[in-house]
Amino acid sequence: MQISWNWLNEYCRIPLSPEEAAARLTVTGCEVEDIQRPCKALRDLKVARIERLAAHPERADLFVADLDTGRGRSRCVTAARNLKNGDWVPYGGPGSVIADGTVLGRRDFDSIASEGMMLSAEEIGLPGIADEFGILRLPQGFSAGEDLVEALELDDCILEVSVTPNRGDLLSLLGLARECLGVIPGASLKPTDMGEPSSGGNWPLSWDGLYLEDPGCPLYGLSLAPSVQIEPSPMKTRIRLAFSGVRSINNVVDATNLVMLITGQPLHAFDLDRLPAREITVRGAKEGERFTTLDSREHVLSDADLLITSGGVPVALAGIMGGENSEITADTKSVAFESAYFEPLRVSRTARRLGVGTEASYRFSRGVDPSRVLPTLSLLSNYLLGQTGQRVEKEVRVARTRTWEKRKVVLTRKKLHRVLLWDDMKEASAFLERLGLKEAGSSEEGLEFEIPTARADLAIEEDLIEEVGRVRGYELVPSRIPPLLRGTGHVGDEVEAHRRIRITAMSRGYLEVVTYSFIHPRWTEWLRIPESDPRCHGFPLANPISQDQSVMRTTLLPGLLQALQTNIRSGWKDPIRLFEVGRVFLPAEKEGDEHREILRMAGIAWNGRDRRILYDNSMKDDLLSVKADVVSLCQSRGLMPEFCAGREPFGHVGQTARVTLDGEPSGYLMSLKPGILRELEIPGPVFAFEVDIESMLPDRGFRFGQVVRFPAVYRDISLIASLDTTVASLEKEIRILGGPLLRGAVLFDVYQGKGIPEGTRSLAFSLAYGDSSRTLRDQEVDEVHDALRRNLAEKGFVLR
Amino acid sequence: MNAIQAKLEAIRNQYMEALVKADGSESLQALRVRYLGKKGELTQLLRSLGGLPPEERPMAGQALNELRQEVEASLERQAVLLAHAEDEAMEASDRLDVTLPPRGRGWGAFHPVVQTMNEIIDIFVGMGFSVAYGPEIEDDFHNFEALNIPPHHPARDMQDTFYLNSGKLLRTHTSPVEVRSMLKWGAPLRIIIPGKVYRRDSDQTHSPMFHQLEGLLIDEDVSLADLKGCLNTFVGAIFGRPLDSRFRASHFPFTEPSLEMDVECFACSGRNPACRICKGTGWLEILGCGMTHPNVLRYGGIDPDRYNGFAWGMGPDRVAMLKYGLTDLRVLFEGHGSFLTGGGY
Repeated sequence: MQISWNWLNEYCRIPLSPEEAAARLTVTGCEVEDIQRPCKALRDLKVARIERLAAHPERADLFVADLDTGRGRSRCVTAARNLKNGDWVPYGGPGSVIADGTVLGRRDFDSIASEGMMLSAEEIGLPGIADEFGILRLPQGFSAGEDLVEALELDDCILEVSVTPNRGDLLSLLGLARECLGVIPGASLKPTDMGEPSSGGNWPLSWDGLYLEDPGCPLYGLSLAPSVQIEPSPMKTRIRLAFSGVRSINNVVDATNLVMLITGQPLHAFDLDRLPAREITVRGAKEGERFTTLDSREHVLSDADLLITSGGVPVALAGIMGGENSEITADTKSVAFESAYFEPLRVSRTARRLGVGTEASYRFSRGVDPSRVLPTLSLLSNYLLGQTGQRVEKEVRVARTRTWEKRKVVLTRKKLHRVLLWDDMKEASAFLERLGLKEAGSSEEGLEFEIPTARADLAIEEDLIEEVGRVRGYELVPSRIPPLLRGTGHVGDEVEAHRRIRITAMSRGYLEVVTYSFIHPRWTEWLRIPESDPRCHGFPLANPISQDQSVMRTTLLPGLLQALQTNIRSGWKDPIRLFEVGRVFLPAEKEGDEHREILRMAGIAWNGRDRRILYDNSMKDDLLSVKADVVSLCQSRGLMPEFCAGREPFGHVGQTARVTLDGEPSGYLMSLKPGILRELEIPGPVFAFEVDIESMLPDRGFRFGQVVRFPAVYRDISLIASLDTTVASLEKEIRILGGPLLRGAVLFDVYQGKGIPEGTRSLAFSLAYGDSSRTLRDQEVDEVHDALRRNLAEKGFVLR
Repeated sequence: MNAIQAKLEAIRNQYMEALVKADGSESLQALRVRYLGKKGELTQLLRSLGGLPPEERPMAGQALNELRQEVEASLERQAVLLAHAEDEAMEASDRLDVTLPPRGRGWGAFHPVVQTMNEIIDIFVGMGFSVAYGPEIEDDFHNFEALNIPPHHPARDMQDTFYLNSGKLLRTHTSPVEVRSMLKWGAPLRIIIPGKVYRRDSDQTHSPMFHQLEGLLIDEDVSLADLKGCLNTFVGAIFGRPLDSRFRASHFPFTEPSLEMDVECFACSGRNPACRICKGTGWLEILGCGMTHPNVLRYGGIDPDRYNGFAWGMGPDRVAMLKYGLTDLRVLFEGHGSFLTGGGY
């Protein structure tokens, strides 16, 4: 909201500079985001009168004006076509400065010298005050040579104020003036008595009545201007509105806006002759009812919306915007002005649902002061008569279904002290009185205050504590650290596990990334995830910002692949490994259950491209190097993962493993399908893993092994097995058949090719035999080892 | 006697000469054989001792033994020296340019926000707070209503919300976990809630997904002073030195009173009107906070007459950006290698 500093000072004398006042308002909760001085640059501009206006002798598009500048005559050339003899205009002579900082001088226009220039509204910094195209024509009543800035009171600044949603009362000069009085020491309020208008008398035309059929509107007042002349607003009004950031329309609409800026009470002007009937009924809309607002948008309404109707026809969306059918036009002759109280939530709901936000709906949503609804009509009529000469009937029509009692709230010494560690009730009461509250009673516990109707936000004791606290200053509250009476804090398993995992990943060369939780919906298609897979059914957002980010991820893989693509597109050629810990979002497993948010870790490794790599293949990642990463990551939380051949829709058919943790299938390790990589334009293999880490969260501690004091005896075994026999199954077989003395079996050679039958491979293990209580004799070992060989041979392995 | 001694002397001289010349383990071995071997000179001399008169034998035997020991020891010594020399020659010829790049994977890189989040967690855990988590897909009750934000309230405009088709929503703040935790654990309570949150907003300083870290302390007799103490301590710890702070009045529906905390610009302390970080104001807005609203306590099943408390919410993304001098929030979630590794390429 834009506030004119000078205008504000008409309601509250503030003994501070705008900057100082802004700082104080900001600290006490009404944030002033910026201070602007649109006319700051102006220098030496004058008011001048056009003595003689003539066509330029040589140029058909130009005029020559002789000006009375108070200190003699000046001649100006202009292209503006809106001038005539006797007009008053802003004038900048040579050496003067206009709003954009340009220093004016003399300039020749085909043999005629222009000494400076006559100015448009834009050139004095306030484009909004123009009421026609061309030079800004000033009203009568100035004298030639008068300083323009003084004459128009342009030496003003705009406070850009950001008002929190609880403080609807600050959306008005009166409210801000009260706030300034409350928070700025030495400020003083200027009395403004708007007066309650009289009601019940007659209007000079027939009027059938006001009917309130919906509790959403408990108070409605209407005043009448029976014969108006629609014209531009007076200059002063236009300047006021410009400094308040409101566009000037015409004298009637401007009047409603100006008065709203003062009291915070939005008004609406109906063209009385265009109302379908001489009555107004406020009612709820019918479901599906249609209404076109004055911005020519048609809205389909719901029964929660509130309508102003006349003769059964909607004429305004209550508190939001009037209708096209009754708006003020240049031909309007008589006007009815509405001032009403609409329930904040009703207005807010409709405005939000229809996406229509106006100055009026903004204020109604935050609650207007019911005690100002009718006095605002008095102010309006005073203004219209005083400033524009338009007469408004003294009598207003009023319908009312509710009255407002002033709320009373008790402030106790105990609670005040609890929060602020301070309890001077006398001073606290003084703070509150300056904010407009009245002490209405006292007891041993504390004081009771009467709350002004403008302050709907003050409802409970805590609200009063806040008022006292912010005015007194939070800097006066001491600072202390609460004692650890309740014991120490705990990082917890999830943070612990995450920390271990991320450090492990980083020390294995992964870059930690955080990618968006929502992805492009086509990722499931790009990753060939079938309908039957729960990962195909991510939750779509009902209102995404872009398609790129419109479905909740069901796997971390897309984010990582997208990051890889981003890197490749930006020219990254080096090997890169990316790693993320985050949640994926899956539908409930069965109807009625909650959705599932699963914490996963995932990584991808890419070997780069087009670069010769030092040390050759020893630097390159493959499925097994990334497998080592997965093992390490799991081991960092005390778990040993198991791997078996698996399938993933996006996994290389021959290089995909299922990862099992604690006996539970927990994820995958794979080389990405070459076809998918082609489509994603990622050259070369990508190795990826993704593992649920729920089972890694509990701290399992660690079981240390027994100290070996008697060295093991080693024997090798080499056998030929079918390619279908996995190393894991073979190791398991050997462990079982090896008996209790077998301490371990380490695969040290795999050979496939010449000399070995097709469809088989040769595998060689080094076996360690040992006993914890003695050194084994060679003979014992030989016996056990031979037995193992026999058993393996019986199982059908060819031993070499 | 003299004959033996002379002979020993001669052998000794001869041996010493040869030892000096020996240039490798092989020549040393040859010397050992020549003097100490089965047919070695000293061995033979020893055998010949039997031919001496008995009274001369001890003396001669002793002299011979001494020489044997000397030869033995010097051979040992020389062997060690020679081995060293040989090793060094071999090592010198096996030279590696130690400035070659390392083989294998180097250190990866941490993400600034995750790192900062962890640092913040540690600071508050040190002040007795424990970590709590909650869902990112939330319902209206926990995200809004229980936080004193009724339906259609304009306060909802402060947080533009993403909805799912089911009517559930992506939490717009970590505050719903406050309510969940109060319902789960009751009072007293001292928790911090790190996590991702979502709002429909995207530009250089807004990302539709970002992080928050929320804190809540509920106990008997809690004051704004406690809030100030905890948060001032945090600021000093995260930025590495005590910084001035100021608390401005503000409004959040779930706290009363509500405040915003600004800290002294750590870059210029308000002394540089052209400061890029604080834009010349001297202050950095870093978090919102306040005393928990009694309605929120009630929704959390806690008696507001017995307990009160304070809460705050901050953006670790913003703290990380301040800490690491970053200007564009969105690059945090794009995974650029050049950004994360701290250099171009």
